[in-house]
Amino acid sequence: MIFVREIRKSFGRVEAVRGVSFAVEPGEIVGLLGPNGAGKSTTIRVIAGYLTPDGGAVQIDGFDTQTHSLQARRRIGYLPESAPVYPEMSVAGYLDYRARLFGLDRAARRKALGTALDRCRIADVARRRVGDLSKGYKQRVGLASALLHDPPVLILDEPSNGLDPSQIRETRSLVKDLAEKRTMIVSSHILPEVERLATRLVVIAGGRKRADGDLRDLLSRQTTRTLVAEVQDHTGAFTTTVGATRGVQRVGRSDADAPGWVRLTIEVLPSAPDPRPEIARQAAAAGVALRELREERPSIERLFLELVESGDGQAGPA
Amino acid sequence: MNQAWTIARRELASMFRLPVGWVVIALFLLLTGSVFAVALVPGAPASLRDFFGVSAWLLMPVAPAISMRLLAEERRTGSDEPLLTAPVSDTVVVLGKYLGAWLFMACMLAPTLLFPAVLWAVADPKPDPGPVLAGYASLLLQGSLYLAIGAAVSAMTSSQTLAYLATLFPILGLLLLGAVAPDTLPAWARAAGAALSVQARAADFARGIIDTAHIAYFLVGCAWFLGLAHTALGSRRWR
Repeated sequence: MIFVREIRKSFGRVEAVRGVSFAVEPGEIVGLLGPNGAGKSTTIRVIAGYLTPDGGAVQIDGFDTQTHSLQARRRIGYLPESAPVYPEMSVAGYLDYRARLFGLDRAARRKALGTALDRCRIADVARRRVGDLSKGYKQRVGLASALLHDPPVLILDEPSNGLDPSQIRETRSLVKDLAEKRTMIVSSHILPEVERLATRLVVIAGGRKRADGDLRDLLSRQTTRTLVAEVQDHTGAFTTTVGATRGVQRVGRSDADAPGWVRLTIEVLPSAPDPRPEIARQAAAAGVALRELREERPSIERLFLELVESGDGQAGPA
Repeated sequence: MNQAWTIARRELASMFRLPVGWVVIALFLLLTGSVFAVALVPGAPASLRDFFGVSAWLLMPVAPAISMRLLAEERRTGSDEPLLTAPVSDTVVVLGKYLGAWLFMACMLAPTLLFPAVLWAVADPKPDPGPVLAGYASLLLQGSLYLAIGAAVSAMTSSQTLAYLATLFPILGLLLLGAVAPDTLPAWARAAGAALSVQARAADFARGIIDTAHIAYFLVGCAWFLGLAHTALGSRRWR
């Protein structure tokens, strides 16, 4: 289990992390989400024990990373951003070195090496120099080194950074496989990546936690619902009618992809009754052709923008 | 300590995998070998005094070249992140890195054992073993101190060039202390300079004198600079 309490970290005058708290239960994959420069990597580095926080505390399986640093670190498998690995070493040599650092004896090392090479699908490059490998392979070597000691806690900082789409898919499936019975934090600024991997989201922006919760719960908390309608409304009269419908906050108007058709983006209060039947009735009454009327699925992109741009520090339960 | 040995072995192997390691060894052996060959004069008494004298000066540019990568390169490439989040204390990291550099220096000096072996084989009378042993002890102690200075400096920066230069100048200072102290300095300052001077101690070693005070000086110096390296490494976690 990971327990993060009120951590703060500044670099000179820049406050990178300002009192972030959350907990990750065993078996949970938490997606740490935020724009570039939000404080994600600093938070991750504090949790992994690379940086000492100015305030607050982190516990890994009950061990404080400051007072029982080595015990805490023994329980963590950490993949830093861009997976820095010694380029002059062979893949097998590097993994053997890492296994020794984690205190694995000869038999355990051999077993761990075989498992990590197979699991991360890098057995075919085991004898090659790390510096000669592609970025995708290097990332997998970094991941393999994080798994060697079979840690109960995995912390992955931007695991898909710089990978091509097929490598991203492979890494994602690998991370999902690894998630069983492990506590995991995956940091990313790629929203679909986190959406597919995480069971829970922690959104960080400006060094503060903006939201924390189950993805579906967070999506349902969005402050507006959006409808999309495509109509033939050359005069704009129907747009005005829709704008006056009960529960409708605002109507946006743009050209649709077919000539003569107009796309209306209708923002509706979440508490209001569904206005679609009323809009359909109004279209029929006005003789306006209506070819589409649907509610836009709540998206993680919209949620993310709402949370990051709100800047109100609104945080859900930790 | 197993982990310190693991780090030392990786460090040593890495130096031999990079061209800079081989270049340093080749240049050192070329220069010291030339000095040894020139000093071999038929009929003259067998001595390695010139070899030890030149080697001691050569350590001044060579030791920073060995130590500059130790921690600076790790920081520049970000490979210190996996290292410092492994269950290894900062003390073990510093000792491992230092031991790796020290072993590389020992590997560099090892082929020069051929020189006394040659003298033993061809010279008559045979060379006195005392100054030879003292000469090697002096080289190892001086090298150990310079590498410790280099480790401390390397822990403070991410630039190898800066690490090299910032190691070179303190070593030069230690070599010149006492030797160039002007008479205008107060007596206490000249005494302090003489006490800290490496050259005065090296001169005793060259005469075959192995003084425990000199050994203590180098060992305390090593411990002090390794302590500084440890503090500098620990401070990275705060910055």
